[in-house]
Amino acid sequence: MNGVDVQFRNVTQVFGALVALREVELAVQPGAFVSIVGPSGCGKSTLLRLAAGLLTPSAGEALLGGRPPQQLRAQKQIGWMAQRPALLPWRTVRQNVLLPQQLTMNNEQLTINDSQFIIHYSPDELLKLVGLFEFADAYPHTLSGGMQQRAALARMLAIGASLWLMDEPFAALDELTRESLGGELLALWRQFRPTVLWVTHHLAEAVRLSDRIILLSPRPGMICGDIPVTLPHPRDDTAPAFQDVLRRARSILQAEGNGRV
Amino acid sequence: MSNPPASIPRRASVPFRLRAPSGRVVAVLLVGLVLAGWETAVTLLQTPVYLVPGPSAIVRYLAAHWQTLLAAGGVTLAEAMTGLVLGTAVGLSLAVLITFWARLEQGVLSLAILVKSTPVIAIAPILTIWLGFGPAPKVVVTALLTFFPVLVNALSGFRDVDEAIVEYLRSLDASPREIFWYARWPGARPYLFAALKVVTPLAMIAAVVAEWMGASSGLGRQMWLAYANLNMPGLFAAVFVLTILSTSLYQGVMRLEGRLSWEEIGEQ
Repeated sequence: MNGVDVQFRNVTQVFGALVALREVELAVQPGAFVSIVGPSGCGKSTLLRLAAGLLTPSAGEALLGGRPPQQLRAQKQIGWMAQRPALLPWRTVRQNVLLPQQLTMNNEQLTINDSQFIIHYSPDELLKLVGLFEFADAYPHTLSGGMQQRAALARMLAIGASLWLMDEPFAALDELTRESLGGELLALWRQFRPTVLWVTHHLAEAVRLSDRIILLSPRPGMICGDIPVTLPHPRDDTAPAFQDVLRRARSILQAEGNGRV
Repeated sequence: MSNPPASIPRRASVPFRLRAPSGRVVAVLLVGLVLAGWETAVTLLQTPVYLVPGPSAIVRYLAAHWQTLLAAGGVTLAEAMTGLVLGTAVGLSLAVLITFWARLEQGVLSLAILVKSTPVIAIAPILTIWLGFGPAPKVVVTALLTFFPVLVNALSGFRDVDEAIVEYLRSLDASPREIFWYARWPGARPYLFAALKVVTPLAMIAAVVAEWMGASSGLGRQMWLAYANLNMPGLFAAVFVLTILSTSLYQGVMRLEGRLSWEEIGEQ
């Protein structure tokens, strides 16, 4: 599995009278970890929905590997994680991880090649990978928020996606859990090398995780900054270089939002 | 993660006489007390048996006529269950239809409300004229009374689905049918059981009321015969059988729900 390149070509998204995104032009290299940061309501999540093909842009186009996102979605190659883990509460953790496989099997048009990954990694192996193997038979409501997101992570890994779309998946977790899960996510990203679009409003997190930070201005969302992060991992958030990137990003956002960050 | 305590230690060492009586014991005592009071009142006041029979008279009647009553109960139960299955099937199907084609909602619901608002007492005699004294009109009346709560509850259940789950499924290119099967249907379980709890005892009442309008057998007919002959013990005995059947059905639904629930599982 390899990352797919993501392109937004002059994308504008309008909801009624509201312009959510204006003229977004963005090209993401295959296998890159890109954070999208901006204040609430700047269209970050809309950008992810466009990339997943859940929305069709009002103007311009979103492309994954040069093709409309719907194609990659039909091959079940898009990983999706949101702030809420969205596990099926009536299924055990293992059954939840099996869900994408069941959906794949329902679709006769998908060849065995597309589902190879699922066959390669059993749900139990995936659960071991995210440290949740002992809880395979537990129901989601008996797990902590962090463990629920681990389960969602395993479920996302199950499809061997070439693109991970992540909408503040760790935002509802406490600081410590959030940091350790961020570290594990980086390790998994290095292992599987998908392209990651990571939406957050937590600047330090973006600097800690990603190799590129896209800054969005408040309504309408426009790209107002594009900061490469070349610091080696693991990143020390007290290091001057780290603080430097953080300061640069913050000053751009503050200038754009008149301090409304 | 916060582990729930393995088990709450029982107060095993407390002597029996200090333990509070369980809910079941209290219930039995309460019912016994009411029956005893009833029997005493009837005896002391020398109430004629054609007005209010004492529990002992009813028990004597039950003992003497249990075969007739059991057969009548069986007939009513069969009618009620057939009507219930029919009504539930119609209610569920309509709910599924509206879930997939929201445009049908207004039309289907208006029709359903129209049917639901028509007093069944008024149409039951008409149905008896059309369909005869056999089980058919009873089944229809029961179905008419039961489909609506199922329709409304199922519809709410299918709609009250976690949007985050729907969005996740859509990211996997799930079809509306798959979203229904994997998310809406299992998520609607509490709603469907709420409907069943309402509709199951209601089905028994519907069948009995339909039988009053003219029937060749069933509990409703037994009640009608007893009433016509001022046979109060017979009437009360039929009511007793009806109550036992309804309560058992309700218990059955509760048990089924408990067996299918995942909420308590895994919280060892």
